[in-house]
Amino acid sequence: MSLTQAASTLVRHSARQPLPALRHASAASVQQQRRHRADASTSHAQFKSPFHRGQQDSPDTTVIPSFKKYRGGSETGNKMFSYFMVGAFGGLSAMGAKDTVQNFLVNMSASADVLAQAKVEVDLAAIPEGKNVIIKWRGKPVFIRHRTSDEIKEAEGTDWQKLRDPQPDSARVKKPEWLIMLGVCTHLGCVPIGESGDFGGWFCPCHGSHYDISGRARKGPAPLNLEVPEYDFPEETNLIIG
Amino acid sequence: MAGFLANFYGQIVKRNTTFLASIFIGAFATELAFETGANGIWDQINKGRQWKDIKQRYMEADE
Repeated sequence: MSLTQAASTLVRHSARQPLPALRHASAASVQQQRRHRADASTSHAQFKSPFHRGQQDSPDTTVIPSFKKYRGGSETGNKMFSYFMVGAFGGLSAMGAKDTVQNFLVNMSASADVLAQAKVEVDLAAIPEGKNVIIKWRGKPVFIRHRTSDEIKEAEGTDWQKLRDPQPDSARVKKPEWLIMLGVCTHLGCVPIGESGDFGGWFCPCHGSHYDISGRARKGPAPLNLEVPEYDFPEETNLIIG
Repeated sequence: MAGFLANFYGQIVKRNTTFLASIFIGAFATELAFETGANGIWDQINKGRQWKDIKQRYMEADE
């Protein structure tokens, strides 16, 4: 035990103090040593172990080293720094999550070229009474019928409760003289022919469905009435479909 | 500084609800500021080249 201790002390001493022969080196090497003096590895300063009490040479295991040097800032400041970092990263993650969700939702919405063609404006003053007009809206034909007063009376007088798809005429038009509906047969999607059929309305040539003057399915295989799109009259003689 | 931090801690960080709310409000404000700033830089770089800059030339001729 004491032998090993003595040996380690000897090694430590020889490491700290260079041999006398080396001490008397040439002037150039001394200068070089001076240049390196700032470096910790060549420093001659005594190493003070934090586990030694006072100037004692033997380690004392009951000594608690001081960590004062490594402590920094006030308690409030440190705490606020930690919470600020947590909050800042939380906020960044919230922004990222919000943008991710938003991008998915924006991806699903209609693009600008689709929105630009979504609405169609029609000048109703050019359509005389008792005439059909077919316009294209979102790639489908739309029938616009300027109905006469006789036709309105006929459409409203129909016993609609007994029809295949019961619907009163008032539920299919906003203004009784203007009937607007999609020109797609509800059976298999042909375009019906206007002013024909057994009921004075539309007739589908593909499978023989008959629609009346309100666009309701009356005869043939069609299961539903002709679909009425979303439309509005912003002015008296103006119609916007879509 | 320490007083301000202690005040900030007591007002906002101590209660989890207020902390969370301030994080979300901060995220919203940061995003708004970032986007406005980024758009401003973009408009600055592309000044005179965008549709909104040359729009009135064509609109006047049209009407």
